[in-house]
Amino acid sequence: MNDTITKENLNDDQIDQDLLKNVNWGNKFKLWLAFLSVSLIICLYFYYQQLQHGLGVTGLHDYVSWGIYISNFVFFVATSLIGMLISSVLGLMNVHWVKPLARIAELVAVAFAIVAGLIIITDMGRPDRLLNVFMHGRVQSPIVWDIAVIVTYVAISVLLLYIPLLPDIALCRDKLKNVPKWQQKMYKILALGWSGKTRQFKIMNNYTRILLILIIPIALSIHTVTSWLFAMTLRSGWDSPIFGPYFVSGAFVAGCAAVIITMFFFQRNFKLQKYITTDHFDRMGKLLVLVALVYVYFNINEIIVPGYKANTADAKHVDEMLYGHESLMFWLVQLGGLVIPFLLILFKPMRKPLPLTLISIVVLAGAWFKRVLIVVPTQLSPYYPIQNVPEKWNHYSPTVPEIAITLASFILVLIIMTVLAKLFPVISIWEVKEEMNHNKELA
Amino acid sequence: MKNYKHYRLIILFCLCFLAVANVNAQSDWQLTAKENESLSPFLFDDDMILEGKISYENSCTSCHGMPGQADYTPMAPSPGDPASDQFQLQSDGALFHKIKTGRGTMPKFEDVFADDETWNLVAFIRSFNENYKQPVPDLGGIEIPEYSMKLAFDENIDKLVVKVFAKELPQSDVSVSAFVKGSFGKYLIGKAQTDELGIAYVDVDPTLPGDAEGKLDIMVKVTKGYGLAKMNANMIMAKPTVRKSAIEGRHIWSNDKNAPIWLKVSFFITIFGVWLVLFFIVIGLRGINKANKEEE
Repeated sequence: MNDTITKENLNDDQIDQDLLKNVNWGNKFKLWLAFLSVSLIICLYFYYQQLQHGLGVTGLHDYVSWGIYISNFVFFVATSLIGMLISSVLGLMNVHWVKPLARIAELVAVAFAIVAGLIIITDMGRPDRLLNVFMHGRVQSPIVWDIAVIVTYVAISVLLLYIPLLPDIALCRDKLKNVPKWQQKMYKILALGWSGKTRQFKIMNNYTRILLILIIPIALSIHTVTSWLFAMTLRSGWDSPIFGPYFVSGAFVAGCAAVIITMFFFQRNFKLQKYITTDHFDRMGKLLVLVALVYVYFNINEIIVPGYKANTADAKHVDEMLYGHESLMFWLVQLGGLVIPFLLILFKPMRKPLPLTLISIVVLAGAWFKRVLIVVPTQLSPYYPIQNVPEKWNHYSPTVPEIAITLASFILVLIIMTVLAKLFPVISIWEVKEEMNHNKELA
Repeated sequence: MKNYKHYRLIILFCLCFLAVANVNAQSDWQLTAKENESLSPFLFDDDMILEGKISYENSCTSCHGMPGQADYTPMAPSPGDPASDQFQLQSDGALFHKIKTGRGTMPKFEDVFADDETWNLVAFIRSFNENYKQPVPDLGGIEIPEYSMKLAFDENIDKLVVKVFAKELPQSDVSVSAFVKGSFGKYLIGKAQTDELGIAYVDVDPTLPGDAEGKLDIMVKVTKGYGLAKMNANMIMAKPTVRKSAIEGRHIWSNDKNAPIWLKVSFFITIFGVWLVLFFIVIGLRGINKANKEEE
């Protein structure tokens, strides 16, 4: 018996009605979208400034050439990884309770992965030369690998969102008669003539299965390759053979937190309490504890191994982290953003929807600053000392345009997720029906 | 208020003292006649000027600037430009001893440079004076010999054989030094003295990398007193070496065309493999519509 499913007996019509309710263009939604669009336009003005004057408008310089743009990029790639863990790993292991969350996880994955690609472009001084990366890139360069796997991951994630959505698109096509014409037309095209035939289900299940298996190595490689952008460079703090798994485990922490936050907003705004239950939050909380523990383990390794040997450059780097200039951010992120949250989630009352969401917001913010800690301080302690340069090159602090452009990436993610959540049901209707029937049979 | 006046007086007095001391310091750099008249035991040549330039850039530029540019540091007393008359009208001996002993803010370089290195500096400073002709001591009727030499390489004992002549007579006790000429300077092979037959043997490391035939570009310098001669040669005396470009072959650090095969294969097979599957799935989605018609 699956206790994450509501005890109420819901018939199919009731389910259709509940889960299709969010597919509309209400005033609240329009207001929200307008707010997001205006914020985005304000932020894009700063990007226009950057295009005009070059990267000089940012706080980047010769020593810190990767600032919050690249930290943000790493964060976005990390967050997008959760799609793989929830829909693929748990899905293939037949973990039933996770099924209503699979689509939410995929939404998070698609939105974050698409925007991750765009963030890279904001870090380029001459984005008009983007094509050169493809035309003249060296296959030996981890940057080329990164671009290749991220594009592939976006493609698989989109397919993995789309293919299991087919029965629900067909449902939208059949049931939603009061939506604009273009939307009806879109459903008609996207449904690919779905009519619920056994053979159609067979095709869908086959393809989904192939994609679910395929996405595991690709998802692991996007974040491993992203970590290699750093680890393949001979620099204190980056020169680490465990960077791949370290990044992947960190990614699951950020991703879990992002999914919990998204779940909460969908549950409250779309009145989905019967489908995303308190029990779901409880289990996601436990999953967050698990991935956080793995991440804590890697963090300890990452600090204690170079710290114990203390060769000159690494010792300086570890020292900066533990006691030096970066120590405040370091301890806030490690204790406030990781250890204390997971200790709190160990208690059942903290796994209730609201407290868990609040904790997840803290964890997500911690995860973002953690990426800054990985990217920036290493560049400020190069093997060859920084000397005979302007004083300000000894530090890095992001400028207003830089922060605004980074905010724009978050706004863009929210826009993508909101629009997709308004076009399609956020919970797989046909799977919920299947699950309910299954439960009834067992009962 | 009275006290205040006193202070002013004291300050004024100090300033006057400093000014007088300053003038004193400038006028009072006395050398003995012997020091003033001492002459370089070497004939200034391009090598000495070059080495002098390197020492000058390391130790002198910070105050004196580059000679001829008048870009010396503004200090009191002024360090001055070594290309100016203030320097060039002094004797070689005066320049030599002033560098050695220093005075006031000019440090003493006695412990920094050996005598020959100090003469290198004098040679460098003199190279900015077109009218300069190096004074040579009265040699008591002895002519400065004009040396010539013959070079050979004895591969049985790995020695460079140098025979030194003056007026076709072999010369003994001549210092011989041999160098390999590289792209960025000379590399000393060894030094030797000629014997009574006028022959010097310089040991050559047989593992030195030569060109494809084992040839090396060498320079041999012979000196004795003011006598000096140099000779360049290109001779077979080292290990034949075929030079390779640092990025030749397939390496991670090479260009795209020379990427390691394993990397190219695994990268492209993975990426195209995955995209092939995706392509197959997208094409296969047409089967959903077809399934409608089949069952109708």
